Amino acid sequence: MINLSLTLLFLPLLSAAVTLFFLRNNGRVASLLSVFTAGGILALSLILIYNTEDVPLAWDMTWFKMGGWELKFGFLLDAPARLLLFVVAFVGFLIHVFSLGYMADDSARSRYFGGLSIFMFSMLGITLADNLIMIFVFWELVGFSSYLLIAHYFTTDEAAQASKKAFIVNRVGDFGFLIGIVLTYWIFGTVNLSELADLADFDPKLTSTLLCLALACGFIGKSAQFPLHVWLPDAMAGPTPVSALIHAATMVAAGVYLLLRIDFLFTEQALTFIAFLGAVMGLYAGFCALVQRDIKKILAYSTLSQLGYMAAAFGLGMPGIALFHLMTHAFFKALMFLGSGSVIHACHHEQDIFNYGGLRKKMPVTALTFLIGVLAISGVNFLSGYFSKDAILLGAYNFNMPVFILLYLGALLTSIYMFRLYFITFEGSPRSHHAEEAHENNRLMTGPLVILAVLSVLGGYHTLYPGSLLQYCLPDIDMVALLPHHMWMIVLGTSAWIFGLIFARSFYGKVEQTDPLSDRLPVFYQLCRSKLFFDEIYQFYVSKIQDPLARFIEVMELLFVSGLMVRGSAGISALFALLAKSCYVGKIHSYSFWFIVGTLGFLAYAVGLLAL
Amino acid sequence: MSMTSILLLGSIAVPFLASILLFCGLPRSESFLHRIAYLAFGFPFVAGIILFFKFDPSCPGYCFEFLIERMGLHQLGITFHLGLNGVSSPLFAMAGIVGLGAGIAAIHSGADRLRLYLALLALMQSGLMGLFASVDLFFYYLFHEFALIPTFIMIGIWGGRDRRSISLEITIYLTLGALVSLCGLVALNAMVDSPKFDFPSLSAALAQTSLSATSSSTIFGLLLFGFGILVALFPFHTWAPRGYNAAPTSVSMLHAGVLKKFGLYGLIQIAAPLLPEAAMDWSQIILWLALGNVIVVGFVTLAQDNLKSMVGYGSVMHMGYCFLGIGACSALGAGSAVMLMCAHGLSVALMFLVGQFVYRRTGTYEMGEMGGLATRTPVLACFLVAATLATIGLPGFGNFWGEFGVFLSLGELAGNRFFLGLAALGIIISAIFGLRAVARVLYGSPSEEFSKHLEKNPAKDLSRVELLSSGVILAALTLIGLFPSLISERIDREIETRYEFFQEAQSSIGRPSCCPVEGEEKENSPIEQLNLQP
Repeated sequence: MINLSLTLLFLPLLSAAVTLFFLRNNGRVASLLSVFTAGGILALSLILIYNTEDVPLAWDMTWFKMGGWELKFGFLLDAPARLLLFVVAFVGFLIHVFSLGYMADDSARSRYFGGLSIFMFSMLGITLADNLIMIFVFWELVGFSSYLLIAHYFTTDEAAQASKKAFIVNRVGDFGFLIGIVLTYWIFGTVNLSELADLADFDPKLTSTLLCLALACGFIGKSAQFPLHVWLPDAMAGPTPVSALIHAATMVAAGVYLLLRIDFLFTEQALTFIAFLGAVMGLYAGFCALVQRDIKKILAYSTLSQLGYMAAAFGLGMPGIALFHLMTHAFFKALMFLGSGSVIHACHHEQDIFNYGGLRKKMPVTALTFLIGVLAISGVNFLSGYFSKDAILLGAYNFNMPVFILLYLGALLTSIYMFRLYFITFEGSPRSHHAEEAHENNRLMTGPLVILAVLSVLGGYHTLYPGSLLQYCLPDIDMVALLPHHMWMIVLGTSAWIFGLIFARSFYGKVEQTDPLSDRLPVFYQLCRSKLFFDEIYQFYVSKIQDPLARFIEVMELLFVSGLMVRGSAGISALFALLAKSCYVGKIHSYSFWFIVGTLGFLAYAVGLLAL
Repeated sequence: MSMTSILLLGSIAVPFLASILLFCGLPRSESFLHRIAYLAFGFPFVAGIILFFKFDPSCPGYCFEFLIERMGLHQLGITFHLGLNGVSSPLFAMAGIVGLGAGIAAIHSGADRLRLYLALLALMQSGLMGLFASVDLFFYYLFHEFALIPTFIMIGIWGGRDRRSISLEITIYLTLGALVSLCGLVALNAMVDSPKFDFPSLSAALAQTSLSATSSSTIFGLLLFGFGILVALFPFHTWAPRGYNAAPTSVSMLHAGVLKKFGLYGLIQIAAPLLPEAAMDWSQIILWLALGNVIVVGFVTLAQDNLKSMVGYGSVMHMGYCFLGIGACSALGAGSAVMLMCAHGLSVALMFLVGQFVYRRTGTYEMGEMGGLATRTPVLACFLVAATLATIGLPGFGNFWGEFGVFLSLGELAGNRFFLGLAALGIIISAIFGLRAVARVLYGSPSEEFSKHLEKNPAKDLSRVELLSSGVILAALTLIGLFPSLISERIDREIETRYEFFQEAQSSIGRPSCCPVEGEEKENSPIEQLNLQP
């Protein structure tokens, strides 16, 4: 098993290395290699998942040792890891296949597929890692692969800026995460997850809210939560399958996974904080998504809001439900992102939904599968999103009313903006030349859509999952099933999506090139468009505070350190030199004068007139 | 003489003899000149690698020892004594690797008076190999001067803008630093009655004579500031960026990458283990000054628009982490600092080298006048991105382990956690300037000036020679990033024995904790307690 998991982890790294060294100019072979690797990962993952039923697979080897600190390279393939492994391998494989079609005409395919392989390596690393420092290592590496892939179209200014922003904002989160890890090490004496769990169990007083919040910074950065959410919408500058894989299904969800991995450390206050953080994000991102025109940005904000739901589920003490929602979300969000990729590919990289329209007739498979995704995320009864999201809502209703209200409003918004997206894109008549000429894509692209659509429909039935895949989620699912107010929740949930459907149908059913909301409610529309000025505030900070401060410190350094200190001391010695030099004038008169002065001085000293 | 001693001696002697040969103007033909130069830089590289892998990490103390009693002033206890221990062995190999990269770059640099240039650089290389191979402190210092003096000359002759004044400034500044540190070394030798002027005898002698707190503190202060000036400790750092900016690339590589580690090596290997109490007294000051390197110089780096001066300031900034590791006063901190020294030597040399590749294609170091280079030179882009990411501490490159270990060591004492919080800001600062530079040089589309420049000289991707010189360094950097225990194991063993005092001192303070446990103080860490549970 250990050799198998090592092979699993290093297979994509090997593939990336081969691509880097030998296949730089051979995009076709590189893409096939990468897809075969993804297939290999899927196969190996399935073998691993079904052969490590009950015993968590732990293994370790010293990776780094210094001054009494020893870092072990180890795997912990327990129940949550198995589920995430399944999601990463499965969704990852489908997205690789989709990329074959989507990136077929790209001139830099090798770089793209190499980047995907590096990403798979790093993401598998996060999934399997058995200690916080290893998680941190792979955490940084997924950040790097995300950087690389966002910058794929680096000749555009947008991609250049977005890639930089994504990495730096993530580093801000990692700053807190790093401090959290260091503190954890010195408080507990270990960073191994299993040992930490035992210790936290043994002495609950060891942990503290501050420590949890420091560690949660990692989650806030990676999962793009408040106030570090600004990088995710910009990250849409990358190729669409990348957005599906990294910025929707897996990497951003790694933040939530981190929380699950260390849930035993969390104190009550920290949990409540996370719950509110997630709930506020759920609502905020909903408002932002409502007024976006770019199809990928709508989906990006929707991802933010769904990550907020997962965080809220975790904060409410239902980590199993959070992971369950992570999985169903990976299915339907990957589906919708790939669907949007299919649309973008067919419409020659047009991304404004108001330039689409009537695509249902041109692209029936994409439209139908996309609709399934929309229904699933809106929580239409008996689809996957219904089970996972309404479980979160029901939990919130029972445990924390303010969080429930925020989440419920968020759910209402979700169905509105999702149906808005569907109606504007696929219904009505084409509003641009590109939309008129669009036609369905080939099987490489529609195949993954169909598979993901099936999973989006069936993914919520936990009894369908073979073996112990959902082992981690089941206790929480059973717990939620026993909560009161079940019927009430079904009524509320159903009415939310029905309201969203009817509202979006009547409001956005027939649109032209402008958003009807901007005519009806201009102030509200502008407020949502502004996204509460976060980008502007950060921009202000960078250009008006950070950069001038840097210049100021540079000038101060020049003035005081190089100027006053270095030049100054050089000046003082030069002054002495000048004084000494003035004695050497080269005239016999002055030399004889000084000679006489010296002699007189000596004589005076000798006879005792001058005492030294 | 055994094979290993020949290699050890040869890594110093071969570049030295080659340098003399070149000074005499002996090989007349160009191709022979190149061959001599390749030998001068290739031999230390090969010797460094062989000795690195031949080194037995389980043997404590020095390996491959080699002694000539007659050489030196044995009346004063000075002998020509070579050897490698766990700390110097990786640095010795690093010096060989960086030397090869810098040497190849110099051979093909097309500089005026190439023979003289190569002669001086080979002399510098000989000194660099010698300083890490010396057991005797006099020769350790002597070899440093061997490497330092050619630097001044080369900046003065082949330097960029303001080379004369910068050469003068750097000469005075660094000579001053070297002088102060020499005072410290001499004072140390004078205060204790040691038969030999090397670490083991000094250490043994110190154990018998008890130095007064004032004198040991003064000596440590002399060593700290003397070595500190040589490593560009804040606020004695201004010579470094100016000097590197003016120096020819190979000199910047060798100086910033290898020679600057002399001071840190002295502090970690000699000053702190010999005078541990004084080191602990000075630790707060070291930490504050190191923060100056990380934060103040970090911000200055942010303001740089010139690629080369950005690299120069960035290298000064990252020296702050090494000082933080020393200031942490523990085996973990010092060991991680050595780890970082190795990785930083490689990464900063790579940065200067790749920066020169960029310069050759753009004709300028001003980042505002570039852009869009990645479409034209993808392999160069790959190297620049890799070098930048290594510099900013991405896992997978050696720098990460050093930086992480330093951060970890700062968390040990509750009093140092304040420094941890501020120092960790460095990871954000370096990410900002690093990625900004990458975006400005490689991404987007070429600026107007650059487009014009490109019309005249179309940019070609890396040549084979360029690929070789930078590839060697990048390969080493990645290797220690993926397999850090390759070097950490030997560093750890050596540092653990030298830093025993600190371990005892720290444990007598007691393991601190965020949330103090009421009642009697815990003797065991939580994990040990758990293991004690039935």
